[in-house]
Amino acid sequence: MGKVMRKPTKPLQVNPFRLTQPMGAALAFLGVDRCMPLMHGGMGCTSFTKVFLTRHFCEPIAIQTTAVTDVTAVLDGGDASIVEAVINITKKVTPSLIGLHSTGLTETKGDDLRGVATQVDFPLVYVHSTDYEGGLESGWGKTTKALIEQLVEPTSKTRTDKVVLLPHVSLTPIEVEKIKEFISLFGFEVHALPDLSTSLDGHLGEKQSALSSGGISVEAIKGLADAALVISVGTSMQPSAESLLNKNPTMRHLHLNHVQGLAATDDLVTALLDASSREEPPASIVRWRKRLQDAMLDSHFSLGQTRILLVGEPDFLAGASQLLSEAGGKVTLALATTDSPQLDRIPADKVMVGDLEDAEALQANYDLIVGNCHTEALAHRFGKGLILRGYPSWEVVGNQLNDDLLYEGGAYFLCEVANAAEHMRTAER
Amino acid sequence: MAQKPKIRELLDESACAHSQNKKSACNAPTPGATTGGCAFEGAQISLFPYADAAHLVHGPMTCVGASWETRLTHTSWPGRDLTQMGFTTGISTNDVVFGGEEKLRQAIDYIVENYSPEAVFVYSTCVTAMIGDDIDAVCRQAEEAHGIPMVPVHAPGFVGSKNLGSRLAGEAVLTHLIGTREPETTTPFDINLIGDYNVTGDMWQYTPLLEVLGIRVLSTLSGDGRISQICTAHRAKLNVLVCAKSLISLPRKMQERYGMPFISVSFYGQRDTSASILAIAEALGDAGLIERTKQLIRREEAKLDEQLAPYREIFHGKKAVLNTGGNKSWSIASALQDLGFEVVATSVKKSTEADKQKAKEYLGVKGILMTNPGQEQARVIDETGAHLLLAGGRSLFTAIKKRIAFADVNQEKKKSYGGYGGLLNLAEDLKNALQNPVFRNVARRAPWEK
Repeated sequence: MGKVMRKPTKPLQVNPFRLTQPMGAALAFLGVDRCMPLMHGGMGCTSFTKVFLTRHFCEPIAIQTTAVTDVTAVLDGGDASIVEAVINITKKVTPSLIGLHSTGLTETKGDDLRGVATQVDFPLVYVHSTDYEGGLESGWGKTTKALIEQLVEPTSKTRTDKVVLLPHVSLTPIEVEKIKEFISLFGFEVHALPDLSTSLDGHLGEKQSALSSGGISVEAIKGLADAALVISVGTSMQPSAESLLNKNPTMRHLHLNHVQGLAATDDLVTALLDASSREEPPASIVRWRKRLQDAMLDSHFSLGQTRILLVGEPDFLAGASQLLSEAGGKVTLALATTDSPQLDRIPADKVMVGDLEDAEALQANYDLIVGNCHTEALAHRFGKGLILRGYPSWEVVGNQLNDDLLYEGGAYFLCEVANAAEHMRTAER
Repeated sequence: MAQKPKIRELLDESACAHSQNKKSACNAPTPGATTGGCAFEGAQISLFPYADAAHLVHGPMTCVGASWETRLTHTSWPGRDLTQMGFTTGISTNDVVFGGEEKLRQAIDYIVENYSPEAVFVYSTCVTAMIGDDIDAVCRQAEEAHGIPMVPVHAPGFVGSKNLGSRLAGEAVLTHLIGTREPETTTPFDINLIGDYNVTGDMWQYTPLLEVLGIRVLSTLSGDGRISQICTAHRAKLNVLVCAKSLISLPRKMQERYGMPFISVSFYGQRDTSASILAIAEALGDAGLIERTKQLIRREEAKLDEQLAPYREIFHGKKAVLNTGGNKSWSIASALQDLGFEVVATSVKKSTEADKQKAKEYLGVKGILMTNPGQEQARVIDETGAHLLLAGGRSLFTAIKKRIAFADVNQEKKKSYGGYGGLLNLAEDLKNALQNPVFRNVARRAPWEK
């Protein structure tokens, strides 16, 4: 493990890639079926988020705003604008849930969301998600925790075949589906919270709904506490798992920092074999493990001579760096959006919280970039290879279909990176 | 106290078409029933195209973190394109409690030292406006220290819509830049282009034609713009407002202050492009220039007609339904007609009276003006037998259901549809949409569906 720099030393961010808590909160609410995320802030906060997500997923995004103005910012404690927003939303549509989340503007004036929530006669979950603290990952995590605390009904009953999966924000819709399927192959019924795999997976629906179209149902969330096992993936999801355990003390908890690479997937399989009292996993999983081993060997020659810059949320960095380094990829720099305990676990020469100006200053240290579309200009400027991952990715289609997890996705990812590195070296010659 | 723009006054802009039958031009947004961007976004759209200036956003991360590198505003500036960079103080809890002015000062110093911009625009945002950071004072001191213009832009999101933000941006430019420098030379045919941001190079579709005519673009706000040029804008003979109601306060005020006339034009479609070039020449009032312009238009139209002929053959007899907002409801209709489409319906849901009038003119008596396009368009397609739906992504399913071609008019466009040249791009894209079998193929019934 290399050096970890947690605190930026500059008075500003240049070419920033940190995203914010309200955006993470909105995204989490979009993983709940027929939900209307309601952002409490100026209309621009919502508009930027909507456009951002629409372009990333190539899908219409349901979200509304309390449209705080300079006047209401001073005179209203949130009571008027939130209550009015709920009335106006429910005039047109009937959501299963309203996902109220705050912004820097309304946190600065200190609105009491909990107090306002009691005045609203409609199913509503609230979460404080200022934009001047944390990031996309923590906004998503806090919202998951709020959904559990405010919706899940406590119980002491346990269904031995039921598993709750708490995926971190950087897992794509298809990745969430892949983990769900993987676990269900061991005989479990799996519920993911939030669940983007059935909402933002890019499916042609019957009708373009004004609400989120898919995701876990509110009823299913209420009944999560009878699961025998909760699996949290990513450090940002650990507090949510703890909240769920409070709803049923007999529930078991498996925490995984990530599910990328041979070792981490082996850990998950070990736990699932144990939980399902099986001797061996299903045949398809055994086969994919062998394919990953082969992909590691096939890609190691290229990866072993490639110095990589990884850019993204801490939970993403932890997984991707592990997978790449297992096959000899040299992660020379891991650039994180925000601080997290994960940063200590990243196998990289240097780990830092920063911006893309920092990445530019250190460009001599890497050959290939794995990051969001803001790294594209950097890659072109200095002739680096590029693999697009993370939010946002506006210039390509199919972001929701990327799968880098477990044995299967790991095999594809290693081949993709190795091929991109070779392609880059051929182009240089 | 620096001169802060008067928001009320900007809202009540007398030259705005909205204002004639409403008390206030831009009403307060309704909680829970609002779409569209904020004043900060409007200011950003209007000023970011100055690629030789740094754009420092004093606020939390969402404001610029989610929005930098989103607009393809091209520039010929030979230095580093600062438009495509994001600068923000990214304020933290600590700054909210103790004030962000010192951080802002240091951020400006950092930018000047590392990127040598021609100017720095400093944007206030909701949070920094609310905690009362004095960006005027910081800018004034930084200007003295660094000797380049530092422009405070007072358009925090919560003061209103994108439209108002654009006006506030215009106000900042008028207060701090215009009239601060003299041009090296002037010509009788100097104009300012206001409101074209050169998205996908739209401006470059017609500026070469102006150049051929001897019309000089003295400055722009702000497509392919330069700080040194906008400072001299007061010496132009004419302000040309391009497809932008939002910036109308600026030319109106320049008319009052400098006696400079202004005209409003659009470079969308063949007819509008020709009319606009001629309108500029006529406003400049030189008989020789007007004659040269007429010749150029004849030449360019003949050339374009030749290039469009194969497309017009394809589009002949094809009917289009248009569902979009504002001035697009008639400007795109006009371009479609230039290509040979019959535009059978257009949306006037959010249009001003003037826009509705224009839409009526372009579509003729048979044309359908949809006031609730979301509900109406499916029926309109059935009744008219339309072949093509041009709308936002949400309407895609209507096209698939009706098995007709679809073009997303709100999608972030990658190439220019402006001027004569852009019409060819539009023709090519619409030809591809009409000939693409995907809309029929994707509607195939699944084998297990009865």
